[in-house]
Amino acid sequence: MKVIIVGADAIGAHLAELFSKIKQNIIIIDEDESKLERIAAYCDLLTIKSSANTPIKSFRDAGVNTADLFISVMRDENLNLSLCVLARSMGAKQTVARVENAEFTDVHITNAFKRAGISSIIYPDDLAAQEIIAGLELSWVRQRWNVHGGALTMLGIKLREECEILNRPLKNVCQPGCPYHVVAIKRGNSTIIPTGNDMMLSQDYVYFMTTRDYVPEMRRVTGKEHYPDVKNVIIVGGGKTAVRVVNNLPRGMKAKIFETSTARCEELNAVIDTSRVMVINADGRSVANLLEENVRSTQALLALTGNSEANILTCMTAQELGVSKTVAMVENMDYMNIAGNSDIGTVINKQALTASYIYQMLLNGDVRNIRNLLMVNADIAEFNAHKGSRITSKRVYELNLPKSVELGGLVRGGVGILINGSTQIQPGDNVVVFCQDTNISQIEKYFI
Amino acid sequence: MINFKLIAKILGTLLFLEAMFMAVCLIVSLCYQEGDMVPLAVTVGATLLAALVLWLLGRGATNALGRRDAYLLVTIVWIAFAAFGSIPFLMGGYIKGIADAFFETMSGLTTTGATVIDHVEGMPHGVLLWRSLTQWIGGLGIVFFTIAVLPSFVGGSIKVFAAEATGPVQSKLQPRLTMSAKALWGVYLVLTAACALLFFLFGMGGFDAVNYAMTITATGGFATHDASTGYFNNAAIDYTAIIFMFVSGISFAMLYAAFFKMRIKRLLKNAEFRFYSALIVLSTVVIVYFLLQYNHYSVGDAIRCALFQVVSFITTTGMFNEDAAQWHHITWVILSLCMFFGGCAGSTAGGFKCARGVIALKIMRNEILHRIHPKAILPVKVNDSTINSSGQITLIAFLLVFILLCFFAYFVMILAGVDSTNSFTIALSCASNVGPTLGLEIGPTMSWSVLPMMVKWILSALMLMGRLEIFTVLVIFTPAFWKNN
Repeated sequence: MKVIIVGADAIGAHLAELFSKIKQNIIIIDEDESKLERIAAYCDLLTIKSSANTPIKSFRDAGVNTADLFISVMRDENLNLSLCVLARSMGAKQTVARVENAEFTDVHITNAFKRAGISSIIYPDDLAAQEIIAGLELSWVRQRWNVHGGALTMLGIKLREECEILNRPLKNVCQPGCPYHVVAIKRGNSTIIPTGNDMMLSQDYVYFMTTRDYVPEMRRVTGKEHYPDVKNVIIVGGGKTAVRVVNNLPRGMKAKIFETSTARCEELNAVIDTSRVMVINADGRSVANLLEENVRSTQALLALTGNSEANILTCMTAQELGVSKTVAMVENMDYMNIAGNSDIGTVINKQALTASYIYQMLLNGDVRNIRNLLMVNADIAEFNAHKGSRITSKRVYELNLPKSVELGGLVRGGVGILINGSTQIQPGDNVVVFCQDTNISQIEKYFI
Repeated sequence: MINFKLIAKILGTLLFLEAMFMAVCLIVSLCYQEGDMVPLAVTVGATLLAALVLWLLGRGATNALGRRDAYLLVTIVWIAFAAFGSIPFLMGGYIKGIADAFFETMSGLTTTGATVIDHVEGMPHGVLLWRSLTQWIGGLGIVFFTIAVLPSFVGGSIKVFAAEATGPVQSKLQPRLTMSAKALWGVYLVLTAACALLFFLFGMGGFDAVNYAMTITATGGFATHDASTGYFNNAAIDYTAIIFMFVSGISFAMLYAAFFKMRIKRLLKNAEFRFYSALIVLSTVVIVYFLLQYNHYSVGDAIRCALFQVVSFITTTGMFNEDAAQWHHITWVILSLCMFFGGCAGSTAGGFKCARGVIALKIMRNEILHRIHPKAILPVKVNDSTINSSGQITLIAFLLVFILLCFFAYFVMILAGVDSTNSFTIALSCASNVGPTLGLEIGPTMSWSVLPMMVKWILSALMLMGRLEIFTVLVIFTPAFWKNN
C-alpha cells in the first residue's frame, strides 16, 4: 500500500512513524529539508523536498497516480484542500485533508468535499475536543474508547490505594463471568500484557475492557466513587480546541474560559453560547485568578494553551487546589509518558490524535475502528471476523496468538461480550484486539 | 455645506406625492358630494404649487446627498408634510387654530393617533380618509415610501433610510435598498388589504374597513368613530384588530422572511420577537387578573379587553374598545410600561423598541454579573450577533435622551397646569407615538383639545422626535451641525 503524506510537521511525522511501523510504502513531501531528515532518521520511507506551491512535479515524482492514500496535513487548510483535489484528479484513490475550520466538519459540507475528490476531512481541534468531552462525561476515567456506540468500552484508569483489586494475581481477581477484562498494565515505563499470574499494583495505569452496563461497577471496584461528576469546567486558554469543547459541552455543565488577550475574548464571545460559558480576561495560570473564579467548586480544569509546559504546571496546580479532573494539552510527544506516571491527569496530544485517526483509514475494509495508544505504544483495533477465517476456527486459547496480542472483547448482534480463553469467536463478530509493537496487518490475517 | 438646492428638489418631488394622496381624498369627497370638496381641492392646488416652486428652485442641483443633508431633509420633509396636510382641517373649519390642525396632522403622520377632534363622526368622508391616510403614509416612513416608488431620485438614499428607519438594527433584505423598500411596502400593502377585507367580512362598512385597516397596520390609532373600535362592540372585529396590531408591531423584515420565504422558525426564535410576545402575555395576564378582581368582567370580556388594550399600547396604536380610565390604576402603570417599550424595530410601531429593551436588559444583567466576576468579558448578544460597546453606548445615550425629553415635556405640562398623571402619560404617549393618555383629567377615550396651545406645539415636536428616533432631529439643533467641517 502506497501512502503519500504532504507536510512533515508533528502530524505528518507521527503518521509517517505509525505507517512505517506496519511496513507500508510511505513518501513524505515537505519543503523543509531539516524536517525531512529528522523523520528519515528513524522511519523507513522516501522523502521528497518540494514546495507546496509547485506540486505537480513532486506529485509525478512520488507517483501520485498509484497512491492508495494521499494525506495533506500542512498548516494551511486551503492548500491541503486544493492539493487533495489535485491528487485525486491525478489518480490517488483516497485523499485526506486537514482543516482548521469547524464549518468544514458539517456532514453536508463533507459530502460536498467528497464529490470534489476529498474523501475525508480532519479537524484536529475537533478530535481533541471529542476526546476531552468523553473524558468530562466520565470524570474518573483518564481515557475512554467506545466500540459500536458503547456496547464495549475500553477504560484507561490510574489505580490508587482505594482500588479493591490490587495485589492479587489476576487469575484470582478475574474469575470467569467477571464483568471486566484487564487488557494491559502500564507500570513505570514498561507495558505488561497481563497473564493470570500478573498483579495490579497501586499507581498502575490499567486498560480495562468492559461492557456498557458494568461501567458503574468498574467505578466501584477501582475505588473512584468519591470522584464528583463534572458540573463546572474551567478552561485555560481560549484557542480553537476550547471553542470546540464548549460548543459541544454535555448537558448540565457550565464552563469558564480564561483568556489573556482581550481581542480574543471578544472573538470567543461571538462564537460560543454565552448562557453557559463565561469568558474571563485573566491569566488562568495564576492561582489568585483561579481562586477568584472559585476553582474550588470546579470539578474539571482543561489547560489548552499553546504552551505544553504551562499546561502541565497549571494542571498540577489545579490538582493541588482540589480539582479532580484535569486535562493538559501538550505538543511534545515525550510528555505523554510523564503524564501516565504523574498526577497531571489526562494528557491530550492533538497531533497524535489526528495521526491515529488518519491511521485507521489505511486499514479500511475489515478494520472498523482503530486507535493508537501512545502511552503504551500499542494499537487497539476492531476487526470483523470473516466466515472461514482462522480466528473462528478454534477457541481463543487454542489459537496460539502472539504474546503481544490480546483479545479484549467482541460485539455480537449489538451486545458487548468479554472474551476469555474458552470463548469461541463466530463469523460476523466484531472483535476488539489490543496489540503492542505488532503490525496490525499481521493480525488482520487471522480475520480474513 | 448643506446642499439646499438638492433638498428643495427632493422636497418638491415628495410634495407632488403628497398632492397625489390628497387627490385620492378629493376624489372620495367628490363621490360623497360633501362640504370638504373645496378645502381639499385648494390643498391639492397649494401643495402642487409649492412642489413646483421647490422643484424649480432645486433645478440643476448636484446630486450628492451628504449625511447632514439627509438628517435635515428627513426632518424638513416631515414638517412640510404636516404643514400642508393640515390645510384641509383648517380651511374646512373642522379644527380651529393652526396649532390644533398641525398637531392633528403630525399626530397622524407620526402614527401617534392622539386627536384634538371631539366629534369625529361629524366630519366628511374625504377629510376622514385624509386623516387615516396620513397615518398610513407615515407608518413605514415618507421617504422610505419614496425610495420604493422612485428608486433613482436620491443619490444618498441609504443615509436617508438610516435617518428615518425605526430601531437600532437595520436589516437589509435585498442587496439593493430599492428592492428592500419594495419588499417591505409589499408586506405593508398585503397586511392592510387583508385587514380591510376581514373587517369588511365581519360587518364593517367599506369606508370604515379601509380607514381602520390603514390606521391599524400603521399602528396609528385614528378612528372614524368617537368610540374607536368600541363602537362596533364586536368580538370578531376586536380580535382581528388585535391580530393585525400585533403583526404590525413585528419587524417587517422578519415578517417578509417569515411569510414569503417560509422562515417562521427564525421569527419564533428571534430574541426581540420573544421579548415582545412575553411582554404582551405577561401584561395581559396581570390586567386580566385586575379586571376580574375589581371590575367584575366576565372571563371572556376580561381577556378580550385586556389583550386589546395591551396590544394597542405596546404596538403604540392607541385604539381602544373599552374605557381604561375605569380600570384599576395599577393597570395604567402596566400600560405605561407597554407604551415605553413599544413594538419591534423595523415595524410601524414606535416607542423605545423591544430590540433596545432586550439589549438594555442584557447590559444591566452584565453589569450585575460584573460585580461577581470582575474580570469576565460579558458580551451583549442578540440573535447570535454581538452588540459592540459603541453600539451599547449609543443605546444608553438614546435611552437617556428619551427619558430627558419625556421629563421636559412632563415639566412643561405641569407648568401649563395639566394634571400630573396625565402630564406623565401624555409625554410618554407622544414620545412613543402611542396616542391615548391615562389619567384623571383626560381619559384614554377623550380628545386632547383641552390642552393649551403651547403644549400642543411642544407635543408636535416631541412626536416628530419620537418618530425619527430623536437624534435625527436633535442633531440639527447642535452648532456642530451647521459648522463647515
